[in-house]
Amino acid sequence: MKILVAIKQVPERDAQIGIAADGRWIDESDLNYTINEPDAYALEEALQLKEKNGGEVVVMCAGPERAASTLREALAKGADRAIHIEAEDLGERDTLGVAQVLADAARDEAPDLILTGLQSEDLGLGQTGVVLAELLGIPHATIIMQVEKTDTGLRVKRELEDGWFQHVEMPLPALLTIQSGGNKLRYATLMGIKKAKTKETKTVQAAATASPSITLERVYLPEKQKKTEMLTGTPDEVATKLVEKLKFEVRVI
Amino acid sequence: MRAALQEALSRGWVRMVALVCAATVGARIAGAVLSSEIHFSATLAEPGKFSRLEVALLLIGSAISIALFFRRFGPILRIILRSKKDKDFSLRPIGRRVWDFFWEVLCQGKVIRQRPLPGLAHAFVFWGFLAFALVSLNHLANALELGFLRPGSYIGNFYFIFAAIWALLVAVSIAGLFVRRFLARPIWFGTKVSNESGVIAFLIFLLMVSYLGAFFVGDGGVAVKALWWTHTLTLLVFLPLIPHTKHLHLVLSPLTVFLKRDGFSKIPPLSSDEDFGLIAGKDVTQLISLQVYSCVECGRCTEHCPASNTGKVLNPKEIILGVQSYLNQSGPASDAPLLTEGLVDSRDNPPAKYMSMEAAFECTTCGSCEYQCPVGIQHLPIIIGLRRGATNTGAWEDTHGTKLFLALEKQGNALGLSAMERDKFIEKQAFPIFDGTQEYCLWLGCMGGYDPKGREIVADFARVMRHLGTSFGVLKKEKCTGDPARRLGNDLVFQTMAESGLKAFETAKVQKIVSICPHCVRTISNDWSEYGIAPEIEHHSEFMARHKDRLPQQASGESIVYHDPCYLGRYRDVYEAPREIVAMAGELVEAPRSHERSFCCGAGGGLAFLGEEQGERVSNVRAAELAATGAQVVGTACPFCNTMFRDALSSMGDAPPQLLDIAQLTARALPKMQEAGEQ
Amino acid sequence: MSGVLVVMEQRGGVWNRMSFEALAAGQQLAAKLGMECSGAVIGEDVDAFVTELAGKKLAKVFAVQHALLKDYTSDGYVAALKSLVKQVEPAYVVLPHTYQVRDFAPALATRFRQALISDVIAIHDGPVFVRQLLQGKLNADYKLTGAGPCFVSVQAGTFRAEAVEEGAAAVESFAPQLEASQIRSKPGELFREAAHTVDLGAASVIVSVGRGIGEQENIGIVEELAAALGAELAASRPICDNGWLPMERQVGSSGQTVAPKLYLAIGISGAIQHLVGMKGSKTVIAINKDENAPIFEVADYGVVGDLFEVVPALTKAVLAAKG
Repeated sequence: MKILVAIKQVPERDAQIGIAADGRWIDESDLNYTINEPDAYALEEALQLKEKNGGEVVVMCAGPERAASTLREALAKGADRAIHIEAEDLGERDTLGVAQVLADAARDEAPDLILTGLQSEDLGLGQTGVVLAELLGIPHATIIMQVEKTDTGLRVKRELEDGWFQHVEMPLPALLTIQSGGNKLRYATLMGIKKAKTKETKTVQAAATASPSITLERVYLPEKQKKTEMLTGTPDEVATKLVEKLKFEVRVI
Repeated sequence: MRAALQEALSRGWVRMVALVCAATVGARIAGAVLSSEIHFSATLAEPGKFSRLEVALLLIGSAISIALFFRRFGPILRIILRSKKDKDFSLRPIGRRVWDFFWEVLCQGKVIRQRPLPGLAHAFVFWGFLAFALVSLNHLANALELGFLRPGSYIGNFYFIFAAIWALLVAVSIAGLFVRRFLARPIWFGTKVSNESGVIAFLIFLLMVSYLGAFFVGDGGVAVKALWWTHTLTLLVFLPLIPHTKHLHLVLSPLTVFLKRDGFSKIPPLSSDEDFGLIAGKDVTQLISLQVYSCVECGRCTEHCPASNTGKVLNPKEIILGVQSYLNQSGPASDAPLLTEGLVDSRDNPPAKYMSMEAAFECTTCGSCEYQCPVGIQHLPIIIGLRRGATNTGAWEDTHGTKLFLALEKQGNALGLSAMERDKFIEKQAFPIFDGTQEYCLWLGCMGGYDPKGREIVADFARVMRHLGTSFGVLKKEKCTGDPARRLGNDLVFQTMAESGLKAFETAKVQKIVSICPHCVRTISNDWSEYGIAPEIEHHSEFMARHKDRLPQQASGESIVYHDPCYLGRYRDVYEAPREIVAMAGELVEAPRSHERSFCCGAGGGLAFLGEEQGERVSNVRAAELAATGAQVVGTACPFCNTMFRDALSSMGDAPPQLLDIAQLTARALPKMQEAGEQ
Repeated sequence: MSGVLVVMEQRGGVWNRMSFEALAAGQQLAAKLGMECSGAVIGEDVDAFVTELAGKKLAKVFAVQHALLKDYTSDGYVAALKSLVKQVEPAYVVLPHTYQVRDFAPALATRFRQALISDVIAIHDGPVFVRQLLQGKLNADYKLTGAGPCFVSVQAGTFRAEAVEEGAAAVESFAPQLEASQIRSKPGELFREAAHTVDLGAASVIVSVGRGIGEQENIGIVEELAAALGAELAASRPICDNGWLPMERQVGSSGQTVAPKLYLAIGISGAIQHLVGMKGSKTVIAINKDENAPIFEVADYGVVGDLFEVVPALTKAVLAAKG
């Protein structure tokens, strides 16, 4: 089975985020980038599927030059090949535009299965996978916990809300977005890094796409910063206040 | 079942001992009958002329003995020589090597120091052997009429009496050691009784007796001839036994001690792109081979091992013997895995529990084993080497270990917390950022930067520095030193951390560093050297001890038991500085195991992050020992020890002793006015 | 092209409650733009649902019905909604940001060469749609620049279901053209996992107890609170060390790592070993008698007080709120 994993490079989770001068995106000058964690789970699932069923794992990432380091990391964790779709203007594209360049690269590879993370840690739109499947004309399923290869295709376990699950059977080729945390991620090893040096990375240029249908106008700090709010009063008063929070802020009641 | 087994064994031994006694007595009687008269003379009797047959027998016997010696010693030598070269090996510093040889081999310093009585007995046997070398040479030369020491001559007479005194000491000592091994039977020898040790002891005893006997018989008689032959045959039997038993250490250990790696717990750099640590025989280096064949199976390593003592699988002696038997079976070029996880479980090839990943990853790297070893075996490079082989290839799969590595990869600290947490702490404490104008860079470390208790320690140490008027600053961004990754064998993460840290110091132009964490101090000062030169770093105990004249002497009279952290004591040789600080805060109490023999808290080697232990918790054992001293305060000098004891002491119930770092012990006596961060 | 169409969600004869939040959002957006708002429900037989919707302030309610829409499939829903949107021609399509919507809405938008604005937390004049970036570190304003229709999904809790305006609406039946061959995947029955082992990692609400509880007998009051909240019970290491709760319930560096929606820490001081195990929680509430306890540093809401008074009061209040 040939598995293509679409990964994204995002700023490190703990990075101090500043806003760019034009107020339309974050200040990228002093940021470290890493693999989007949900995509790391997609890669892990792909590697495990390969270990079970054999085949090949190809990773692809669209982004500027710096994306190459994230691809190298993926190769070090066990991917066989990498495709770097060089694009400097991802910020100006909407989901459709980004999925378009991924679809172009995917078409050339003709994989049996495409995996990607549930959503990105920076934009968090959670759509690229589904749109990619739509552009390629292949079926998809999202928020997948388990993947099993069957004679006719796949049997996957979807997560639904409130602790419900569902098995779905689908033919190949298909695209799945993988739920984070379902597998245990592996750590990068010295041996992996050494092997990665001998693996192939293909670089392709992203084609131009139509102008976006939606645009990001402005980014800004949300008004309320996380701060501990101390609730005071008699036990009953505190309990009432807490229930209020549980109902309307935390929304677990 | 076990009792029955022991009984059977001991009965076997009764028989053996009886046989030995009978043989000795028999020889004596035979000698007495032959000489018809036993008398003492201050001069050694000489055997007189040897017939051609006797000379021929001697030569044939010697040839057989030497051949048998090399039949075993040859292959061992070949294994050692054919092992992988130690690329990083250098004879320098030669002075240290000569000193170690003098102290550990010639003076038997380590042997005596660790176990005084049996150590001294062993030393007498060793020195006796040295004194006896000339006598033995002369003894054999006599048969060929080439004897060079004449009992009649002044020198000869003096030397024979000198040797006789040693012979007496050896005989008494070896008998004592025999009694200890087979009757007292300390647990660290293991439950298996070593028959060969008994035979060797008997042979040594016989050598001495047959020598001393020659003072009681006349020259040239049958008696002296009988004694001569007894002595000679004993020698000829003894020689081939050496390479077949752990007594190989007689030959190898002087060399092992002289050649051992320079530095305690020194982890050698990986030698090539194909080197990922100790995976198979082909990765075992000459030094390791030499060391594992030198093992004398005394069990000092296991006796002091915190893992072995708390019901874990790890047994350092068995790791050494495991590598040895691997080399015997598979040789130094083998691709078969050293750790049994890679072996197919079959009847001929049962996985040995001691050579398992589980065992290798139970080591706290406290270094007791390496520190204690009298024959120069360096356990830590071997155990960590095995871990490297497992981790660098990804073979080691452990939920907590993976979590730790991912945290180091992603967040850059071992606790997996956001770096912003550290920023908040620095801001709250109003620590200045190091900008090159301050004297010291205060290194927080993961514990000091993120752990609530570690933060208290850092904050208190900062107060001490402010009180002394020492200028300091902290790095704006700080990542873990890579210590846990290093000890768990993850060279990739370690290298990333070391390089990033070195760069941070270089960029900030740091000259001097001080840290509250012995693990950080060790890793920066020592392990980072593989990737560059770090600025000079010291532990806060050293810093405070140097300035102790300007720190307040407290009159609390409180009793404080000080716990030596492994990474400050054995790893850095700092024992007195923290004690000086403790003594200023109260009355210093010593734990039963202290200084070089301090017992680990259980946190080292990355184990603080590895989840629940098997068996008893190391921290509980040590905390109980510290509490049992009755001291009011447990004084620590390492934030890891502190956090381990915090849990352990609080679970001990009623009124456990207070737990304070030496920085806290000092800061509590500082005037409160100083607090407002003036520089 | 005009109007707002709200796509409601039902599963197995039950509303997804977030649908009404989306409906409120749709009504408010329509009001802002001076447009009409309509609603749609999809399924094999949605009569009961459209009847309920007919009592809301909507221009029309579309009953999108087909035998092939009995069980949710992305292919079925996308095809059905595509033809509905083509017919209705709304300017805006509003959906609740549910797992189901996340599965099909991006594909639906793609059929119109549009990009979905997902997980919206506010709608301002313009209209400007506000989304969160980088796990909530930043907010971002999005605007429609294409021809539309504009697809928007709203985050849970952004709009209040109670705010849905009542009224009367005409019900219109819509039967999409569907072929069985269009539906490529075969959905199975829904199921829940048998709760044999404690999986704190998957729990959405966790009530955790620490040393402050004092005695094993006292754990009962925390168990009652957990039951009231439908939460998993967890503990810090000392509790499990003492054998008061099984080891599998331990949260922390030597236990489990959890990331629930709510982590309620009771009598837990917050040693680092514990904090690393629960720092991923979305909301943390801490009840502790020591105001300097480190747990308050990571808590969103803190109560300094006697847990033996606060916890039973809270249990009572939660049960009362749940009716």
